[in-house]
This record gives sequence, structure tokens and C-alpha cells, in this order.
Amino acid sequence: MGSFLDYFLGGIANGAVIALMALALVLVWRSTRVVNFAQVGQAMFTSFIALTAVNITGSWLIGLIVGIIAGGILGFIVHVLVMRPVRRADASGAIIATFGVLIALQSLAAMIWTAEPRAYPTPIEYAGLTIFGRVVPLTGYDVFVFIVMIVLVLFLTILLTKTKLGLSMRASAFNPEVARLSGVRVSRMLAIGWIIAGMVGAVAGVLIAPISSLSPNTFDIFLVFAFTAAVIGGLDSLVGAVAFGIGTGLILSLVTGYSDASNAPIVALILLALNLWFKPDGAFSHHKARSV
Amino acid sequence: MRDRWTDFTLRAPGSRFAGHALLAFVIWILLARLNMIIDAQMSYYLALAAMYATAMFGMTILVGLSGQVSLGNGALMAVGGYVFALTSMHWKTVPILGLPWNAVWSMVFAGLGGIIIGLIIGALGARLRGPYLAGLTLGVAVGIPSIINRYPSLLGGEQGLKLIVPYPEGGYPEQVLSEDAQFDDSALDEFLVDESAVVQAPLEEAAPAEGDLLTLEDAQQGVAQEDLLTLEDAQQGVAQEDLLTLEDAQQGVQDMPTDAPISEATPELATDPSDAFTTASDFVLQQWQASVAIAVACIVGFLALNLVRGRQGRVWQAVRDDPVAAAVIGISPSGGKISAFVVSSMFAALSGAVFAQILTLAAPSAFGLGLSLSLLVGVVLGGRLSLIGAVIGALLIVWLPEWVDSLSAELGMPRQVADNAPNLLYGLLVVAVVLVAPRGIMGGVSGLMSKMRRSSAPPSSG
Repeated sequence: MGSFLDYFLGGIANGAVIALMALALVLVWRSTRVVNFAQVGQAMFTSFIALTAVNITGSWLIGLIVGIIAGGILGFIVHVLVMRPVRRADASGAIIATFGVLIALQSLAAMIWTAEPRAYPTPIEYAGLTIFGRVVPLTGYDVFVFIVMIVLVLFLTILLTKTKLGLSMRASAFNPEVARLSGVRVSRMLAIGWIIAGMVGAVAGVLIAPISSLSPNTFDIFLVFAFTAAVIGGLDSLVGAVAFGIGTGLILSLVTGYSDASNAPIVALILLALNLWFKPDGAFSHHKARSV
Repeated sequence: MRDRWTDFTLRAPGSRFAGHALLAFVIWILLARLNMIIDAQMSYYLALAAMYATAMFGMTILVGLSGQVSLGNGALMAVGGYVFALTSMHWKTVPILGLPWNAVWSMVFAGLGGIIIGLIIGALGARLRGPYLAGLTLGVAVGIPSIINRYPSLLGGEQGLKLIVPYPEGGYPEQVLSEDAQFDDSALDEFLVDESAVVQAPLEEAAPAEGDLLTLEDAQQGVAQEDLLTLEDAQQGVAQEDLLTLEDAQQGVQDMPTDAPISEATPELATDPSDAFTTASDFVLQQWQASVAIAVACIVGFLALNLVRGRQGRVWQAVRDDPVAAAVIGISPSGGKISAFVVSSMFAALSGAVFAQILTLAAPSAFGLGLSLSLLVGVVLGGRLSLIGAVIGALLIVWLPEWVDSLSAELGMPRQVADNAPNLLYGLLVVAVVLVAPRGIMGGVSGLMSKMRRSSAPPSSG
């Protein structure tokens, strides 16, 4: 039995990767109003590519870079080949298509890399740090993951709020018609949204892989966690996704610590259900749901 | 909107109901007869297809007609499977009514369990728009193994509950909690690791039964099935890890007597094990499972036909297409959504109860995300809006892996590729169908047919 603080610290890395995955979901939702259920599939696939690069070069950093590039490319491919053509179809079609992509990516990964779980290396030793002469469950890797997440969030915030590209992206998401009339190339902005989301998802995947091991299916549960966080955060809000991603990670860590790891998905489900019961459109959503 | 709905309303009341009953009855007779003349392997596939079709009728109503994309139906099947397993293990009499227990009661209670869970999820889901509902039900699908594992003493944990299929003679001879029975979980492990292999999983589960047949060469003389069943050791002993190749299994199965002279494979038999059934020894296990699955599928199909083609079907579509307009004409949108959930959930639970009987097991790994995804794949491929589409989807889910398997054997593809090829194909097909033909195979067929009708018939009759 550890202390509250121990569990709390242990949840930070989990929270950070959930936050990153939730960020990817939010980025896609903001640009195309689609929840990309294939996001974890993309992240898993690019993590396998990154692992291959790591095995060849022996460098974790090169693996990360290869993963990010692959993530961007994969995001672009999924957007152009699947989601852009499907957008005019019925609302269910888009959701179903993302699951089709998820199934295809998972089976393709199993085909290429087998379904066996693999270990993914870490850049920093995965061992508890010693603070005030006491070993705490916070590892150097956890701190690293958290720092990477903070840097990424800052980068994304600056990109979306301080640059012309970010302004165009927000305009395309907010009101495509007006944006198009103002000379914004909306379709390109949507594609860029998918590419950035794919890159963020790839970073999340590479960071999750050492924690959960890498196989075609091990990321599934993170889809549920990230979706929970993104929905509670309102699906629209980067800050919400990050805050509730970390929050979800901490809660799940406490649940795991005080009861059992197998309770984590149940608690996530209860969180999601409660949130949707009281706020069918997410906690911080700006748009009022049409209700009848 | 679609004139085939209005076609039916002009007829005399009751004639539609009678027509559907006749249709379901004829299909049931034909399938039951078919089940008698095919070998055990084919019966097994038939059982699976009927089981999938049962669940997919519910998916057609939920995803197609009411427009709610759900990934939770695999989990709802788990509810049915576990209710069936638990009630048939622990009940000697039916509570409250005090009647002697039989398998039908377990089916009834499985359906009731589905209705209750469907009410809960449906009430929650009725307020949600598409992606939120999909995400919530995804959570249910991913969370179900955890929920099952939460109560290992009741639900058997990872290993699940081992179930002895109710046999015509003698009902349940014994019930074994697989926790103490040394169920070889190597197949299950493989199953867990390769959760993405959606359809291949049930096949692995069934391997012991086939291996069982293989080991018993003298089963050719029509050894009583009860004897086969009691050979638990053989069942567990036969290597599950080195899965027999399909050819071997088929060969072994073909050694079995296939000309079973069953005269009366009526659902009364399927539903009443206490009934004297003297020819049981000629019945192969798979044939028994198939006859149960067929009977359930036909009953559920009959219910679905009446609901879909009746007022309720129009209510669901109205709520899907325009909830505001539906509310204006006095239809409750949330009522429509919840009722779709309840119906589909009941169907899923019944299908799950059949699935548990086919696997002779109710285990969390059998009812995972993969199952939910395969239901979605099937219903999308077959055609989201049509019950025939659901049947086509069920056939695709069962036979496409077999077809790919034989194809890959011919081409000499490595195991790793061949095992995952069906799922890759499903994923790509789903995307292709959504992009090219959103109404699936049936939508394509009916589109083609109406085009032909238009070109051949004078415009006044169309």
C-alpha cells in the first residue's frame, strides 16, 4: 500500500499520454467535426514504424522523428483517401469509416509485425527517482513524458493562436463558408489539421508504447481513456483535453493504486457516462446541443 | 419516403403478420432440413451464421433504421451469454413460477437481461449525438472484460464459465465451473493477444470439439453424443495450441455419419430438453447447436420483420432523419431511440446466449471489442437498412475468413498474413462501402433491381 502522493505521482505520465491522445482527437474534431476512432490505430501503426527505426539505428530520438513524420503522412492519407470523400455521406458513415480504418490498420500491423506484444525502449531509465532519500513511483521517464507534453501543448497553442496558419485553421473549423470567402484554402487547412493530429498521436503512441508495450491492440484502452478526457473537456478545447487528460490519468492511477488495475476501464466508463448524462455535449462545449 | 413501406399498409390488417410468420416458418424449415444433410463442419458454420444474423437484425434496427452507431452490442451479447450460462448452471426451477427449469427459460431470461441493459444504455444514449454514443458504447465494449473479471467467483474470470450444451436427452448432465476444470487456456491466450482477429477466434474455441471428433475414429459407428460429451479429457487433452488444420478437421468430421435421419427437428425439441428424443444419438453436437441457432434466428427475424415493416420501423426512421419533425407529429424522439436500443439489445442478448452454446463457454475474451466490431462490419457490408443485408453480413462474417484461408493456403501465404487478411479485407471493405455504396450490398442490389424494374415496366405502374 503506497501513499496518496505516490499514486498521484504515478498517474502523471499516464495522464500526460492520455492528454496527448485526447489532443489528437480534439485537433481532428476541431478541423473536421469527426471523432477519429482510428487515432489509436494510427498511433499504434506509427509506433511500430518508429520501433523499426529504433531497431535499425539504435537511436530513440530517430525513432521519435520517424514516428512523427509517419504519423503526419498517415494522417494525411487517412484524411484524403477516407475522411474527405466521406464527409458528405450520412453522419453514421463517418463514424463507421473511422472504425473501418482502425480494423484495417490493426490487422495490417498484425500482418507486418505479428500480434505479439513488444517492448519499446525508453530514452531515460524507467526507474523510480529518489527524492529526499526516498524512492518514489515517479520515474525519470514519467517526468520526461510530462515535459514533452507541456512543450507540445505550448507549441500547438502558439501555432493555433499566434500564427497566420493557426488563424486560417481556426477560421476553417469555425465557419468554412466564411473562411473560404475570405480566401482561406479550407480543404488544405482541414488536411493540415489531420496531419498535425496524426503527428501528435504519433508522439503519444511512442510515449505510450514503453508503458503499455506495443501490439496491435494494446492501445485500444487508451482510445477509451482519451475519448473520455476529450469529451469531458468538451472535444473543442485543447486546454480542456490536456486538463482532463491529466485528470483522467490521475484518477485512474488512484483507482489502480487503491483497488485494482482492472477497475480503471470501469471507472473511465462511469466518468464518461456521468459526464454525458449531465452534459450530453461535453463539459466545456461552446455550442449548445440541439435538443427536442 | 420509400414506397415499399406504404405497399404493406394497404393490405388487410393481419395479412402482413401472417405473411411474415409464413416466411419465417418456411425459412426455418428449409434451414433445419439443410442442417440435417450437411456435415458437422458446415453445421457449425451454419450455427455461427444464424447466431451472427440474430445479432445483426438488432444492428440493422439500431445502426441502420435508428441511426445510432453502437459498438456495445458485443457486450450486450455477453449479457445474454452469461445470463444463459448462470441460469442454466444454478437453476433447477424457474424462480417465482416454480416450473421445472429448461433451456428455454434461460433464453427468456437472457432476453430479459438484454432488455434491462438496453434500457439503461439506451436511456443514456438517447441524449447523445453520433460520436458521443459511439464513444460511450466503445467504452462499454472495451470495459466489458474488466467488468466480468471484477466478479471472478460468479462469472469465472478470464476462463469464463464452461457450459455443457443442453442436450435433448437428460438436459444438463453436470455443470462445471471452468475455474476448477483445467480448461486449457492456451487457445484463450492466443485469443486475447490476437483480439483483432475478429472471426477466427470462435473457430479456435471450437477446435476442441472438432479434435474430439478426430480422436474418436470409432465414432463412425454413430457413437452416442453423450459419450462424446463425457470425454472431457479428450476434449481438453486434444492440443488446442497446435490447431488442427482445417482440412484435417474437415476430414475428421466427414468421417462422421452425416445422414442423420432426424424426422422432427422442431423448435419444441430445441426448447424442451425433457421431451423424449430417442434419436439423439444420431445428432452431432454441431447440428444440435445449429438447430438451436436457426430456431432463434428465425424467431428473432420474424419479430424484426414485423417491427421494421410496421409502424415502429417508420418511427425509428422518422426519429433518425429529423427528430424535430418527428416530435412535431407526436413521436417521442428519445422514446424512438430507446426502443431501438432495447429491441437491438434483446436480440443481441439472445444471440449471445446462442453464442455461449456454440462455444460451450461464456468467457470475456469471446465477447470483446472484436465481436462488436465484427457485428458493425457485417451490418455495414450487408446493408445497414435491410434485414436481408444483415443475413448477407452474417454469411460474410462467417465464410469470408474461410474463403481467405483456403485462398491463402493455395497461394502459400505465411500464417501471419493469412490470419489477418480477413480483418484487413473487412476494414477496407467497410471504408469502401461507406464511400461508394452507403447502403451496402443489399442497397446495391435493390438499387439495381429498381433500375431494372423502371426500365422494363411502364412508368405508370412504378
